[in-house]
Amino acid sequence: MRSFAEMNPAAVTVHLLLTACITIFCMEPVLLGISLCAAIAFYLMKNGTAHRSFHLFALGVPALFAVLNPLWNQHGSTVLFVINHRAYTAEALCYGGVTGIRLAAVLYWFRIFSEMTDSEKLFYLFRFLSPRIAMVLSMAIRNLTLYREQMKKIQQSQRALGLYREAHLIDDVRGGARVFSVLLTWALENGIITANSMSARGYGTGRRTSYVTFRWHLRDAVLLGISAILAAVSIRAVAAGAMHWEFYPVCDAPPHGLLWTAGIGAYLLLSLLPLIYEGKEMLTWKRLRSHI
Amino acid sequence: MIVLKNARLRGFLRTALPFLIMPAIILVTALGWRAEHYALVSFVMVLLALLLFLSGFEKRELGTRRMILVSVMTALSVIGRLLPLLKPITALTVLSAMYLGSEAGFLVGALSAVLSNFIMGQGPWTPFQMFAWGIIGFLAGLLAKPMQRSRLLLYCYGAVSGLTYSLLLDVWTVVWTYGEFTLREYWAATLTALPYTVLYAVSNLLFLVIFAKPVGDKLHRIDVKYGL
Repeated sequence: MRSFAEMNPAAVTVHLLLTACITIFCMEPVLLGISLCAAIAFYLMKNGTAHRSFHLFALGVPALFAVLNPLWNQHGSTVLFVINHRAYTAEALCYGGVTGIRLAAVLYWFRIFSEMTDSEKLFYLFRFLSPRIAMVLSMAIRNLTLYREQMKKIQQSQRALGLYREAHLIDDVRGGARVFSVLLTWALENGIITANSMSARGYGTGRRTSYVTFRWHLRDAVLLGISAILAAVSIRAVAAGAMHWEFYPVCDAPPHGLLWTAGIGAYLLLSLLPLIYEGKEMLTWKRLRSHI
Repeated sequence: MIVLKNARLRGFLRTALPFLIMPAIILVTALGWRAEHYALVSFVMVLLALLLFLSGFEKRELGTRRMILVSVMTALSVIGRLLPLLKPITALTVLSAMYLGSEAGFLVGALSAVLSNFIMGQGPWTPFQMFAWGIIGFLAGLLAKPMQRSRLLLYCYGAVSGLTYSLLLDVWTVVWTYGEFTLREYWAATLTALPYTVLYAVSNLLFLVIFAKPVGDKLHRIDVKYGL
């Protein structure tokens, strides 16, 4: 077993997409709570306490949404208090809270996905859809850093030539525009040179062979299989209406039958999979270190 | 530029998606599904629409050069999107579409959305942004000839596309937060987003006024010099 981030990107992506999609299309507070807790726990495990501003954003905005929802949403029957002749109902607050939890959970899952997918993995994933798009994307990513470097060089030479002062607002803007203009000319010419040299090496003339950095192992298939089965069980429960909550006029939970339990259980396991993989790696590492 | 490799798959998608699969989904939804699936359906529809556009592109001469220029323009607009407040992404998409063609415009718009979201934050809104910016680029490519002749038309297109982009994404906001689309909540969302809508329109206009001549001339020069 390897850590979650080192598994085959396709398997990891399928797992994360399934987990996030079930969260997006379900309004069951228990399931959403599980999803949010698992996502936060995994994020903290990977990053420690860094990225405080992201936590503030991902938890603050949904909380704000929950409190504000009753202000423009007049449904619900339990009136808590009245502002400006408009009722502030408990049901609307509850609905806003659940939506907020869902929003926060999805934000965390997508953030985890972004952090685990670098350009190489992106290239690998897009190859399934279209090698051309993968090529363009991966070149654009490389161009980002290339252009930042080039922009710095242009700025320095412009400044050395005395062409603009930074203290002066209008001069600074015009200087910035000139730097961008120079960068654009350079980038286009550079792109044509790249294209010519690619054609000279035979790009696009025949079948493209490629070096595959990520291979399929049994463990990837196992991860994919487990995720698919668990997701199928919880999607079945969601589709059958076992997770369907009514919020208006009164909050009403569905009966907690067998299907509900199965769906929640499957989702619990599904969302904890990254933590289990990662935790096992950490334990092994600790044990090996304590033996030294 | 050819995007999907398999010609038979492309042909199948081009006929099946608009005439079979998409109407079937709409019909099944309309015939009585619960409202909470509304978000799912709109998500899937947008993904299918993206696929439809990607399968519509055909092979052309000098595909490699055009492809590289698409990646160049994508990278430049992503760099631009990291500026605070004002985003030149629409202006650059429109200008690339005018001189490199509709497909290139669609790709620059859609790919800039994916790529910049790796920095700004990915989410379920990514396909909607891809679609909105892609369509803006695609339509600009269709209007390329008249817009090259008339600056006024170009500026109008920029301002209108800023408004359209914002209104399109407000539809997404409503569908995704409330699980269904109601006009009342749509008004609330558009009103809340009004400052941003105005900002989009103004910044598009501003960047088109600044960029139209220099960027247009440069792309035109590349077109003339290397014969795309």
